[in-house]
Amino acid sequence: MSSTSGDLSHHDEIRHHFDVLMAGLLQGMVRMGALVTENTRRAGEAMTENRLDLVKTVRKADAEVNSMYATLERQTFETLARQQPVASDLRFLVATTRILYELERSGDLAVNCVNVLERENGFPGSAALRSLVGKLVTEASALFARAIDALADMDEDAGPRLDAEDDAVDDTVSAFYTAIGRESTEIGLESAIELSRIGRYLERIADHGVNIGEHVTYIVTGEFPADLHPVLDDEDG
Amino acid sequence: MVSGSDVTGEMETPMETTDTAGPDTAGSAAASPAAAADAPATSAQTAAPAVFDVSGLTVFYGDFRAVADITLPVLENEITAFIGPSGCGKSTVLRCFNRMNDLIQSARVQGSVKYHGVDLYDEDVDPVEVRRRIGMVFQKPNPFPKSIYDNIAFGPKIAGFKGNMDDLVHESLQRAALWDEVKDKLKESAFALSGGQQQRLCIARAIATSPDVVLMDEPASALDPIATLRIEELMFELKADYTIIIVTHNMQQAARVSDRTAFFNVDIDETGQRTGRLVEFNETGTIFTNPSEKATEDYITGRFG
Repeated sequence: MSSTSGDLSHHDEIRHHFDVLMAGLLQGMVRMGALVTENTRRAGEAMTENRLDLVKTVRKADAEVNSMYATLERQTFETLARQQPVASDLRFLVATTRILYELERSGDLAVNCVNVLERENGFPGSAALRSLVGKLVTEASALFARAIDALADMDEDAGPRLDAEDDAVDDTVSAFYTAIGRESTEIGLESAIELSRIGRYLERIADHGVNIGEHVTYIVTGEFPADLHPVLDDEDG
Repeated sequence: MVSGSDVTGEMETPMETTDTAGPDTAGSAAASPAAAADAPATSAQTAAPAVFDVSGLTVFYGDFRAVADITLPVLENEITAFIGPSGCGKSTVLRCFNRMNDLIQSARVQGSVKYHGVDLYDEDVDPVEVRRRIGMVFQKPNPFPKSIYDNIAFGPKIAGFKGNMDDLVHESLQRAALWDEVKDKLKESAFALSGGQQQRLCIARAIATSPDVVLMDEPASALDPIATLRIEELMFELKADYTIIIVTHNMQQAARVSDRTAFFNVDIDETGQRTGRLVEFNETGTIFTNPSEKATEDYITGRFG
């Protein structure tokens, strides 16, 4: 790994085997990220199109994400134990353990969305609410996808940039909550709470995307996310 | 070598890999020959056939019992590392694989070392042929006081090699990742090379006689860190064609380069007699992330040794 470009082919062949291991971890994370992005959109389709048949598909796809998580985490720990990484290699491997967590949690949140759909036996709101969920899914999954692109490219500016982009997602979440409040009498308190959970889940997926961007910035620059953000976001609520 | 030396079938260890075969099976491998075949089966990795099967190996130097009751398989196209503190017997065991202990008059071997199913210590076995099949690289690079070219050509010439020697020299140096650095000075003395280059030359020399196994006794301990990493990278490439056993004091090297690791330790009995024993043998990833024996953990974490 190069500390400035993140170019995995930067090293000469002296540690070719190690470089292959590291590239494999990065590819694995990018693939996990693509699966989570896709599954978030699939969960969105289940909600906006009222496709209860997709609930199982979303769960199944997440099982693959979980399985990749287990494999990649073990490989990362083993690489830490066996390769004595330092400098950019150490930052990459330590950040990898964190990015894997962000990816795995994001996958769970997509499943949480369809779990609501199943409990409510369909999407419990008006066309306007449904359209706002659609917008939220589009924005959150797009931000998440950009985080994965940044990871693949080792984009050093990813952290601050994605953090700024997340404001739009937060605005949509607020609009969604307001709309839920407007309709709460018609849809009932219980469904209103369930819908607000969906808003929270999607907001968190975008937040995990921002975190991934910050981990990437850390890998490339060595600046800790905590230094960029003295107060870190709350954990999943 | 006796005619049966190519028999490989009977040595294949039927290693059905299951996720339940945890570190505990490895711990018992050292003590029980029966468990040895199952010991390395801790992951879903495809099991290679065993090149060596060591069973109940005990080596004496005169009355001194250097190592006792070593049982382990060495699998084909893998790198097996022997680690442990000084005096644990790891080099003694290594020297049994090509009968180098024969050259020490007082050495006596009990138990068996089977090579593709043939007992290496059978009286029909020719130790010279054993050493052609099972090459060795030593701690200190020891090129012959000859040209680079002749260092490679010497062994095959003695062995009656009839093919194209230029091609053999080229191929051996290529495989040892040295060709590009020496191709324009093949007639120069091997001593003109750096330490790391000399060691790669010794590896090229070892593989020029088409061995099946390469034994390495501390092959990088006399080299600087970059030359060390080059040797390790080379070992990685060579394992596609050879089975490698490496003895190293450098446990990080074992962690980086090997597929399986055997940890040896010294037992001291009430009379003060020191004997090397195999404490734990397992996949290297398991040894360095979750060893089953406390002595292994203490050694690899630097708590003793």
